[in-house]
Amino acid sequence: MRATSRILWNLMAGQRGRYLLACAALAAGTLLTYFSPLLVRGAVDGLIDSNASRGIIAQAFANLRQQTSLSTALFFAGLLVIAATAAGGALVYLKGRWAARATEEIIRTLRLRLYNHLQHVPMAWHDKSQTGDIVQRCTSDVETVRNFYAAQVIDVLQNLSRILIVVPILFLLDWRMALASTALMPIIIGFTAFFFRRVQGTFKKSDEAEGALSARLQENLTGIRVVRAFARQDFEKTVFEERNATDRAARWKLYKLLSIFWASSDFLCFSQTALLILTGIWSVQSGRITVGTFIAFVTYGQMFIWPLREMGRTLTEVGKALVSIGRIQEVLAVPEESAPAAPAGGPSNSNPAFPGRLRGDIEFQNVHFSHGTAEVLRGVTLKIPAGSTVALLGPSGSGKTTLVNILLRMYDYDSGRVTLGGLELAQLDRKYVRSQFGVVLQEPFLFSKTLAENMRLGRHTASDEEVFAAAHVAAIHETVESFEQKYATLIGERGVTLSGGQRQRTAIARALLRDAPILILDDALSAVDTHTEAAILASLKRGHALGHRTTILIAHRLSTLMHADQIAVMEHGRIVQLGTHNQLIAQDGLYRRLWQIQSALEDDLRTDLNNDGQRRATLEIALDTDLNPGGITHAN
Amino acid sequence: MPTEMEEEVFTGKLDWKLWRKTATFAKPYRKHIALLISIGALVSLLDTALPWLTRNMIDAITRSDSTGLRLQLYAYAAVVIVFVLCINAFILTAGWIATGIGYDVRKAAFAKLQDLPFAFYDRKAVGWLMARMTGDCATLSRVMGWALLDLSWGPCVLTAVTIMMFRLNWRLALLVVALTPILLLTARFFQRRILLTSRALRKANSQTTASFNESIVGVRTSKSMVREERNLEEFRTLADSMYNHALKNALYSALFIPLMLSICSIGTALVLWRGGLLVGPFGMSLGTLVAFVQYAGFLQFPVTEICNMLTQVQGAQASAERIATLLDADVEIQDSPEVRTAVAAHTASITATPTSKNLASDGKSTRIDSLEFRNVSFTYKAGRSVLQNFNLKVHAGQTIALVGPTGGGKTTIVGLACRFYEPTAGTILLSGIDYRERPLHWLQSNLGMVLQQPHLFSGTVRENIRYGRLSATDAEIEAAARLVNAHDFITTLKQGYDTPVGEGGSQLSSGQKQLVSLARAVLADPQIFIMDEATSSVDTQTERAIQSAIERVLKNRISFVIAHRLSTIKHADRILLIDQGRILEDGTHHDLIRLRGQYYDLYTNQFTHEREEALLEQEPRP
Repeated sequence: MRATSRILWNLMAGQRGRYLLACAALAAGTLLTYFSPLLVRGAVDGLIDSNASRGIIAQAFANLRQQTSLSTALFFAGLLVIAATAAGGALVYLKGRWAARATEEIIRTLRLRLYNHLQHVPMAWHDKSQTGDIVQRCTSDVETVRNFYAAQVIDVLQNLSRILIVVPILFLLDWRMALASTALMPIIIGFTAFFFRRVQGTFKKSDEAEGALSARLQENLTGIRVVRAFARQDFEKTVFEERNATDRAARWKLYKLLSIFWASSDFLCFSQTALLILTGIWSVQSGRITVGTFIAFVTYGQMFIWPLREMGRTLTEVGKALVSIGRIQEVLAVPEESAPAAPAGGPSNSNPAFPGRLRGDIEFQNVHFSHGTAEVLRGVTLKIPAGSTVALLGPSGSGKTTLVNILLRMYDYDSGRVTLGGLELAQLDRKYVRSQFGVVLQEPFLFSKTLAENMRLGRHTASDEEVFAAAHVAAIHETVESFEQKYATLIGERGVTLSGGQRQRTAIARALLRDAPILILDDALSAVDTHTEAAILASLKRGHALGHRTTILIAHRLSTLMHADQIAVMEHGRIVQLGTHNQLIAQDGLYRRLWQIQSALEDDLRTDLNNDGQRRATLEIALDTDLNPGGITHAN
Repeated sequence: MPTEMEEEVFTGKLDWKLWRKTATFAKPYRKHIALLISIGALVSLLDTALPWLTRNMIDAITRSDSTGLRLQLYAYAAVVIVFVLCINAFILTAGWIATGIGYDVRKAAFAKLQDLPFAFYDRKAVGWLMARMTGDCATLSRVMGWALLDLSWGPCVLTAVTIMMFRLNWRLALLVVALTPILLLTARFFQRRILLTSRALRKANSQTTASFNESIVGVRTSKSMVREERNLEEFRTLADSMYNHALKNALYSALFIPLMLSICSIGTALVLWRGGLLVGPFGMSLGTLVAFVQYAGFLQFPVTEICNMLTQVQGAQASAERIATLLDADVEIQDSPEVRTAVAAHTASITATPTSKNLASDGKSTRIDSLEFRNVSFTYKAGRSVLQNFNLKVHAGQTIALVGPTGGGKTTIVGLACRFYEPTAGTILLSGIDYRERPLHWLQSNLGMVLQQPHLFSGTVRENIRYGRLSATDAEIEAAARLVNAHDFITTLKQGYDTPVGEGGSQLSSGQKQLVSLARAVLADPQIFIMDEATSSVDTQTERAIQSAIERVLKNRISFVIAHRLSTIKHADRILLIDQGRILEDGTHHDLIRLRGQYYDLYTNQFTHEREEALLEQEPRP
């Protein structure tokens, strides 16, 4: 509780002054709003009996009446009422303005902080977390906190200031009346707080019923094919009907509770007013207070008793805000990726002592890495000369992608050495390291931006020509040109859905635009057909000689791998075979088994092509009888 | 295909025709609505009576008339009790109407959704439909419940207060009433602005959510591209726009109430000034003056409520419109009048002679011996022509494999066969009869379908399999599961057949889901069986399980298999290579290999691919 309050306080940094101003305006505004009943009281008392008036205002009014005509006096009283209300209103507005400003500033800062924080927490944390949960913390929890600053704090302060300002005024006017007009106040606050705590369960049940209804609806809509295929419309209607009825019942129960709540709280408030009136009549009759004071009390009673009903709800909401801020804090408390171990002045993008572009040679020496309890890399040693191409091959889970993640400093290796351009990786700034790579990840992620914007993620300064050139190499240019809006085509829900192969090729263009010394293609051609793949690889090769680019290829297809300078076969976190295509097909191992698929295919086809038999004869009869010959167009 | 996600329009004018149509939903609640309006009127009278009672009390006090005072106090108590009861009653009545209409609208819309053609679903995203069924229904029912109350209370209280003031003193009344139009205009101006800014805010909010989502899902890409700063810059513009909209909204709200209060204070001042002169010498009582002050201050409430109601109705108009669009959408594919007559006649004859039970619902044979596409062409709504002059005849017991590139028309052929779509030209015949002359329900209860993404409903494994035939016994369910080799994995689950599968089947692996959906299809014992990429996203083990079951499953049925996996294709009776809506190659596997055309290429690539996958997937741990 104390910790959460401290967080809420800390978030207000920079806005506390504005918040304080809002509070001051609120207090002054309340004071002024409560001033005009006093004016009316003065006027009334002055009207009834200009001599017997009590109180400064009444006396002032009486004085005024003696000096000027009644009309002028009343006119001034009226003007004062307007002025007091308008000034009070202006203060209320300023309170609203300052509070809103402060709140929105706080929340904008919080949003930006969350957004940036999420970009900088380690990959390992992202691997473990659920996207939906984090998004909820960043949106609806933030919204709850926003409401806390914008509404609840102000509500509580408003009610507090009412009580702190009005109650003394009342007691100054007449303590018996004051007591009578506040007697039921604690009961009203207590009742509403109690009620809202009690109905939480009913609210929750109603939410759950609505959730169940939506869930079934969603299932029905996404599974509409299944529903139709089994002609289950009536069954679906029955199931939906049940949930719909449950939802209606839950809502109805809530309404019943609310009707009781509002009726009883209204009754309490009316009772308070009645108590006030009775005491008032008694006081006026016994001559303790004037009629004006009586009227003022009645007006005050109305002014602060009704808003008090909301207090119970506000307090419940405050409870929710405390939970939300705790959930947000959990995200913010995750440590960000560590800075490099090297002292300041080490290699980074901002340090001119180091080249912006490293040499592309990479060396792994006995690298070990564990992810959770599983040892993923178990002593990897590999030397990749600058400008060469290395292919990684191995079963899923053998550590290929982990090797890439280690290189990009997404994860930090436990032991061993990795050098990049001769520099120890762990000593380099993460962003500096990453800027040395052009990467196409497994199942590449494209943003819901235009195609050109997605490609420019690689290098935002790239010219149109450079974008086109990269798209050419990635064999996506023609596809893009076929879209109505070409490179300005939006990707995703609001635009075009790309096929797996198109996504991969777009991601390749993006990586090429980086123009980094090292290119990594992690299973980046799996959804691309073999012809296109060959074209892309050939273009890459041509680009190679020019750019001296080191390339790391991860693939399953032999056709992708076979031309690499070295091919490393990985199994269980180790490199078990290393060599060129010719060397590896001479050894027994995974590579050769893959190579043998080709001859297996030939065997398979041979049996089909030779095995002519009765089946063919029967088929021809079937063809003649069944098919309208006009409908068939044979290829070639 | 781009689908409609969100269209929020703010039309200034009220569309009476639309609201008249929407009002049909209120019809069953006529009595409640009448009650609600009466309560609203009664409450307005009580609201008017309270300041009047206060006046009488004050006058009684100043006159020291204790009997009159006692009477007033009794009256006050009575008014309060009736008032409290009214509040209770109107919350209940409005709540009853709101929950009831919400329920009715959802029910009607859901029933409609069950009948709408697939073409409709192609155009509308699921998210869009969900928003109609939840958000729009809620908005509409809320407005129809509560707006009615305000509709009766607001004008009634305005009228009653006005009459009361005129009765007390017409000159003062004129002064106060003159403020009403100003109050109305102000309230209207602000509430429209508040509604507009809160909409803009909501939109910015959903963009922010999307942005957070994207940044988390794409975090690996952002990190590897060192995009953090630029991402933050882009997010900052979004955060700024949220800031601006929220601030604008807050400022309008902050200005609104004080402004209304200030306008009312003009009324109070006028009453005090002109009214004060009338007290005493001109016969006006002090109580009357106080009552006037109260009325002048009170006027803002009905005015605010009336404007609020108008704004709400205006805001809900878009919801009403979208729901109306949904309810009015053309069902397109449904039984013709002739078919309906036949079904009715047959249903009548069943009760007379139970022997005809083995016939279809229209009295014709239930057996499907053949399925024929005759000169079928098909064009999607968007104008994209998918099939042209397509011909194909399939006999019971035959398995047809459809292969070819995506978008070539394979799925369309299947959709047409299932009558999810109807041909734009040509006919599809079942046992020689145009399927438009047979009941839709009969055809679709003879379908079995296994899709690439198996769709399960939350519930147990048993309930999901039973979806295929609701009357199936537990033994039949188990038999179906055994037939498709699903029984073994089901029995290893914690609660066996009673294991809940989770929402969308999330508790099962995709292979397990596929086996359950296969068992479900088998249980339906369909005459037409469709496997649409059923094995393309399952693990090798599941694929093997499905493969070994498939011959039993497809036996004696008309089967269409869309597949990549060779094992599924190879054993089909006929393979059709479909591209651009045409059959390019047709024959057995053997024939097409010999043809050395597109199928040959496809086969050799896929062969290599599958073997490579197999080699790399299995990894014996040391």
